[in-house]
Amino acid sequence: MSTQSGSNERFAQFKLVLLGESAVGKSSIVHRFVKNTFDDLRESTIGAAFLTQQITIPETQTTIKFEIWDTAGQERYKSLAPMYYRNANAALCVFDITNKSSFAKAQDWIKELKKQAPEGIVIAIVGNKSDLNDEREVEQEEIENYIQEQKSEGYDIINAECSAKTGDGVLTIFDKIGRALPVDEVIESNKSRQGGGISNRRTGGVDLSRPRRQQAGQTNSCC
Amino acid sequence: MNRTERRKSMAERRPSTTYTPNVIPQLAGLEKPQNQYLEIDNCDVLILGTGLQESILASILAWQGSQVLHIDKNNYYGDSSCTLTIEQSKKWSNEVNQGKIPHFQEAKFEVFPGGNNQGFNSKDFGIDLTPKIMFCQSDLLTFLIKSRVYRYLEFQSLSNFHVFENDDFLQKINSTTKQDIFIDKSLSLMTKRNLMKFLKFVLIESNETYKEKIKNWINKPIQEFLKNEFKLEDPQINELVYAIGLSTKQDLNTKEALIRIKRFLSSFDIYGKFPCMVSKYGGPGELSQGFCRSSAVAGGIYKLNTKLADFDPELKIGHFDDGSHIKINEKVIISSSQIPHFLQSTYNQITHNLKKNYISRLTVIVNSSSNKFIQNNESSAVLVFPPFSLEINNTTTIQCLIQNHQSEICSKGTSIWYFSTTTNKDVKINQKILQFAFEKMFNKVKIDEPNLEIIYKLQYNQETYIANNLLNVFKPTIENNIILKSNNETSPLIFTSPPSGEISYDGIMTDVINCYSQITGDDNIDLDLDSSDEEDNKENEIQQYQPIDAVTGMPRKKSSVSGGIVGGGSSTNLGALNEHAIESSDEDEDEDEEMNVNDDDDDQHQPFGVHDMEL
Repeated sequence: MSTQSGSNERFAQFKLVLLGESAVGKSSIVHRFVKNTFDDLRESTIGAAFLTQQITIPETQTTIKFEIWDTAGQERYKSLAPMYYRNANAALCVFDITNKSSFAKAQDWIKELKKQAPEGIVIAIVGNKSDLNDEREVEQEEIENYIQEQKSEGYDIINAECSAKTGDGVLTIFDKIGRALPVDEVIESNKSRQGGGISNRRTGGVDLSRPRRQQAGQTNSCC
Repeated sequence: MNRTERRKSMAERRPSTTYTPNVIPQLAGLEKPQNQYLEIDNCDVLILGTGLQESILASILAWQGSQVLHIDKNNYYGDSSCTLTIEQSKKWSNEVNQGKIPHFQEAKFEVFPGGNNQGFNSKDFGIDLTPKIMFCQSDLLTFLIKSRVYRYLEFQSLSNFHVFENDDFLQKINSTTKQDIFIDKSLSLMTKRNLMKFLKFVLIESNETYKEKIKNWINKPIQEFLKNEFKLEDPQINELVYAIGLSTKQDLNTKEALIRIKRFLSSFDIYGKFPCMVSKYGGPGELSQGFCRSSAVAGGIYKLNTKLADFDPELKIGHFDDGSHIKINEKVIISSSQIPHFLQSTYNQITHNLKKNYISRLTVIVNSSSNKFIQNNESSAVLVFPPFSLEINNTTTIQCLIQNHQSEICSKGTSIWYFSTTTNKDVKINQKILQFAFEKMFNKVKIDEPNLEIIYKLQYNQETYIANNLLNVFKPTIENNIILKSNNETSPLIFTSPPSGEISYDGIMTDVINCYSQITGDDNIDLDLDSSDEEDNKENEIQQYQPIDAVTGMPRKKSSVSGGIVGGGSSTNLGALNEHAIESSDEDEDEDEEMNVNDDDDDQHQPFGVHDMEL
């Protein structure tokens, strides 16, 4: 897990949290992004811990690694723990374009984010199920109005639509977020911390996956 | 949302349960009406309270395919082991004084405005109600890794240990190697030699020599043993017993004390030159959140701000305070601080004969980074006041965990001092003693930092049914353990104990397993983690965690994990007590007379983690 590599390549890691009403397709978007698959019967949870996926931004030769946290259903009864929002660099608030109330809900989540999440978090509001345009209940204009309203309050919210089912627009979302993230800042602060790795790791931290003696001693390790 | 979106594998793994909801109960929620419904009309286990034990239990059950419904009457995670903001702790303290939080009493909350204390934000503080430190070799740590919950957490090293002695605070242990554990350069050659002899005895000596040596001392105070067998003097004895052993009382017997000392020494050099760690952003409260998340990932359903209003033991239907209900197939686990009204008399009956232990706490935030105590760029330190070290004649040890802003539980330039003492009697003077210890420390720091001020103060007393030496966790019986006592075939209710006074996480895992085996009739926890979704499996696959031999630095052989009298490997925590009757004068008076050193055979003790922890 090297953080810096040769030539001009740059690397930074960010935590991205998902938000939005149940069943709008949060997990599906992530799975499309991470594995480029879509499962019609997507289960409502993801596997252990969190998912990760990298993107590159060619112009700046930057590789961005997303550490993606799914709500694991804890959003259903507003039971997300403080741990969820902590050190989040980006939030993806998802709604279903065929479900008007889910759009209102996404706005509620953005309100919640402003209270709970760190300052400067990159927020994206994403309409899923763009393949079901015929059943659309949330019009572009409404979304645009909301974005403008937020802008007047000082929040630059990324807006996009996608279909986790077809894959349309999914990558674009992460690309947009990637470009909005404070990559230079993170790389700089990592450098000053002597290659500290993940953006939020500080001094005195212990890597539990690496018992010291084993690290130094044996080379018989797993592949 | 409907059935098709459930994890099918979960239901399949547990064929006894069927997921065909007919009646969908309504639970109040902030969500829109159509989302207010639980997706299930039944669950296998209902858990009340998101304390650490309950949260670990929830995650184990959920990963094994049980449908877990986990609720909490509070709107935050952690129950009695939560991490609170200043505002939350104020509210909590009021609730304690209104008698709303069983087993906690006499809370006193104070904030001190004025001076240069302005501008503190309640949310910048995370105050643990039961702060704890983690030994680098412990069953909970092994489980954190195995369950991958460690990935939600950040741990920091803790190597600063201080002892209050002769009216002064002496740094006893610092970032060091085991061999250099005694940093006091002024020690005489003779003393050093004796100490090395003792270290060698604890860490290297073969079983036979070890047993032979302690044979006549087992039930006698450790002080006598160290004095007579190793010619150690009081300062070194204090260090060994109270700083390294973290003993809470004076007349600790040799056997238990040695287990405690070894626990510390063998935790060195596993992750580095430190024996302990603390979790960032808060202790048990933070871990609880991690385990709850893990449980949710496995399909556990979470609902804070919810109470159980009634329970029909015949039909096994639970009614919640919003009028909704659910069928519970197996058990209802109830945290002692979340006892529903209608179960109060049942609870009183069960706990009637259980022995109580008492913990007094004083938590102070000061406007200092406490660098006098916290060194090596760490975030935390431990300071102990041995019995009778204060003029006020404290009969028990006072332990103090000091944490500054590097642990992210307080804002820059401040630190939290957590004082606690545990007794087996309800001693009214304990708060006075803690206050006295605090003032000692405060005045000492003020010499170097004249602007030192108190920002915040919280004190309270708590009760627990867990013995101070954790004996009734490691050797639970139907008479001494609340979980075993409350569980029976006629009732699905199991009550859990309030948090113990133990400063480390020792005993937590065993407590969870005790509860787990009462629920399932099985004490073998086989975590079937679903890792199929992890993209970076390979990259992040942790090196298989093997206990490291404290002496040789080589991984221990799994088959002999519990070597020696104090156990080894992942059992080097106080779980080693389990193997032996620990006779202490004030607890479990008449148990296990045939105390015999030779009965500890290597493979007898199967600590959690020996067989189950394979990745």
